[in-house]
Amino acid sequence: MKKKILTIYFPVMLLMVVSALAIPPRADASGLFGPLQTVSREQGGLNTAVGYLYHEDTYENGESYRVKQNEIYSQAAYGAKNIWEIYGRVGVSNMKLSGIFASSDHFVETSKDDFEADWEFFGALGAKVFYPINAVFGVGAFMQGTYYFTDFSDHASITSGGVPIKTEMKFENLWDADFGIGLQAQLPCGAKLYAGPYIYYSEADMSLSSDWTGTEYTKKDHTVSNQSMAGGFLGADIPLIRGFRLNVEGQFADRFSAGLAVSYTY
Amino acid sequence: MIVCVFVLCAQGLAYGQETSFTVGPQDESVSQQIVSSAKATPDLTSEDQSKTASNNPTDELSEDYHEDEILEEYAAKIKEEKVEIADPLEPLNRVFHEFNDKLYFWALKPVAQGYKAVVPEPARVSVKNFFSNLAFPARFLSCLLQADFSGAATEAGRFTINTLWGIGGLMDPSSGKELNLQKQDTDLGQTLGVWGVGQGFYIVWPVFGPYSFRDTVILAGDYFIYPVSYINPWYASWGVRAYEEVNATSLRIGDYEALKDAAIDPYVAFRDAYAQYRFKKIKARKTKLTLSAPAAQQGKPADAELLNKEN
Repeated sequence: MKKKILTIYFPVMLLMVVSALAIPPRADASGLFGPLQTVSREQGGLNTAVGYLYHEDTYENGESYRVKQNEIYSQAAYGAKNIWEIYGRVGVSNMKLSGIFASSDHFVETSKDDFEADWEFFGALGAKVFYPINAVFGVGAFMQGTYYFTDFSDHASITSGGVPIKTEMKFENLWDADFGIGLQAQLPCGAKLYAGPYIYYSEADMSLSSDWTGTEYTKKDHTVSNQSMAGGFLGADIPLIRGFRLNVEGQFADRFSAGLAVSYTY
Repeated sequence: MIVCVFVLCAQGLAYGQETSFTVGPQDESVSQQIVSSAKATPDLTSEDQSKTASNNPTDELSEDYHEDEILEEYAAKIKEEKVEIADPLEPLNRVFHEFNDKLYFWALKPVAQGYKAVVPEPARVSVKNFFSNLAFPARFLSCLLQADFSGAATEAGRFTINTLWGIGGLMDPSSGKELNLQKQDTDLGQTLGVWGVGQGFYIVWPVFGPYSFRDTVILAGDYFIYPVSYINPWYASWGVRAYEEVNATSLRIGDYEALKDAAIDPYVAFRDAYAQYRFKKIKARKTKLTLSAPAAQQGKPADAELLNKEN
């Protein structure tokens, strides 16, 4: 019976993973999505987690550029009946935008090329539902929204035509929304494997505090968003000891992101 | 100014409360012990005792309070002894006792009752957990100073787990069945006691409540080791402490009244209960340390012999 189930569903799962990875995406999301099925007790209960995600993404507004973030967060979730869960997250994230200060103009010199911002706070809310197909497989969906409460900012010194200018770049009101579906397989040891595609939108306001006409990013207060809107995720949720679980997940868009979280079920 | 004085009073009285009824800002189990101690005094009639028991609101919370189980285990092995404490300042202490009593009934209790009426119990327990988690440094340091390294490790584990997976300390997963890391019921006063420092004389601090001269070190220790003390500006720090005490009081309204009603002379009852309680706590710590020593773990000499020696 088990063999039959595996024979039927393994190709489906593989297909979902492959399709998720094959979609020509250019986007990514913040925070792990986690297993599609809640890890809370069936009669209803809390689970909490701490997690880390290394995140890369590509934003654009005329020209594309790469964003790198390290995110650390704490999550509290409530789920029941093994089919639904709602969760909230707070965390901190830094940000690096490669080459944002670099200028192609030979008469312009900058003190640095990359935008590097310190840790700022973000919060996220999400919900997920799960439908078990049988004892092993199930399908699920989730949606998640994230907002950064504080702005990322960095300074650079620019010398243009022998005139030094100090400028501040801000990355403000960053938010994202994610929606995904996936297939999950429950392994005999209690581990859960899950994978699927997701769609995603992220937006932020960029601003420069000084006038500078050396690069594409001299416009004041313009909006940037992710280049593309789809990606794929693949993860595993593994039971540890004494109520703890380890969640490892990779997300692929135009860049690869990966992270892990340790959860505790009350 | 009035607000500041009120906050100061509320805080201090709460500390008095903590000392006389619960001893230590994070210890709710003490109140029950002191009430139990009062029950054991011959002054109490059976009616008083039943009243005392029925008035104890923490009974219903017992499932949420599994703290100090380890110490209770040791305390149970200690023989009952009559403990007395010198009281050369009795006239002055009685004045401050009365002052604190009025402060409790006129300020802290009404505020705590109002707070209790609007904030559900699980939320108040979570707030208590949060502040208890913040007070980790004092317990950790006390364990280290007593060479109770397993206790220190337990405290460090509790702090890590409750902070990371307990939503910043609002929840207490460490005390659950699976992890079973119980809070170490100790403080700097007990540390001095374990070192052999005598309790000294009894002193009732206005606002802060009853202490022995030795245990007054708790006041200083709590101030310097407690992170809330470093909140700026200073009145925000006192405000947070006042809130903490209002919250803690809301979880044990009735304990003080029970003891007071049961006693012929409340001042003497509080003084004796305080001395008895602190004595038992320190004995229990000593017993725990003795029994957890490597030689004892090897069974030489037997636990029972050690206990007899200790007592």
